[in-house]
Amino acid sequence: MEHLNNQMMVEFDSISKNESFARVVVSAFVSRLNPTLEEIADIKTAVSEAVTNSIIHGYENGDGRIRIETHIVEDTVTVIVTDFGVGISDIEKAMEPMYTSKPELERSGMGFAFMEAFMDELFVESEVGKGTTITMRKVIRIDSVSQKEENSIYK
Amino acid sequence: MEQLFDVKGETLIVYLPEELDHHYAGQIRKETDNYFTGKRIRDVVFDYENTFFMDSSGIGLVMGRYREVRYLKGDVYIVGVNQKISRILEISGLYRIAKRRKNIAEALEDIREKY
Repeated sequence: MEHLNNQMMVEFDSISKNESFARVVVSAFVSRLNPTLEEIADIKTAVSEAVTNSIIHGYENGDGRIRIETHIVEDTVTVIVTDFGVGISDIEKAMEPMYTSKPELERSGMGFAFMEAFMDELFVESEVGKGTTITMRKVIRIDSVSQKEENSIYK
Repeated sequence: MEQLFDVKGETLIVYLPEELDHHYAGQIRKETDNYFTGKRIRDVVFDYENTFFMDSSGIGLVMGRYREVRYLKGDVYIVGVNQKISRILEISGLYRIAKRRKNIAEALEDIREKY
């Protein structure tokens, strides 16, 4: 049987053009689990929110690097988005729906709410002046392993 | 940029791009601002016909335009919504402030009847 555990890591510049790159690279990596279109859309949205937060808040639209690690362990996908920016002083406040520290940039304040809604688990670790790490987990529900292998393009 | 803008009377129609993230939302915001300063715009119609991805930046874009049209008691319309983005629009609560119509023609009809 195919080894089901797998991981990857990418690091890229903190620029808004890379938001779509981040979504595509994570969804391509996860696609071998044969997720539904809805599951892929959920992961893409969550990745987009985390990366956008790093760009706007972590680096305040300045220079920086963003790292994404993705782990697949059996049917569970873990996405870890790390920046080395300013950090979050009050995580609880930052995670309140509709709260944004940057209303002038027309942020809806729903980034964390979407990450929570579209993933199964969300953890936020941050240290002021050091950066922020977002860990998100989602179980890709598979009817049966044999069916998955049948449909897989990676044979 | 790919997406187009159209002005019909005092209505601004925004044809949204395939992916509406922070990157594209910022560009669209800049362009819509030009229309608001150059012309009298009362209503804005956002057409999602070609959009297959949207995150919270897209929500912020609509909320921002809503605030602007409310000065003239105008409305923001959301049209052409497909299955891919309907869930995110519902979760966001955007339908509490924006009017949902099937397509541009229906939104324009609604606007004609208002004034």
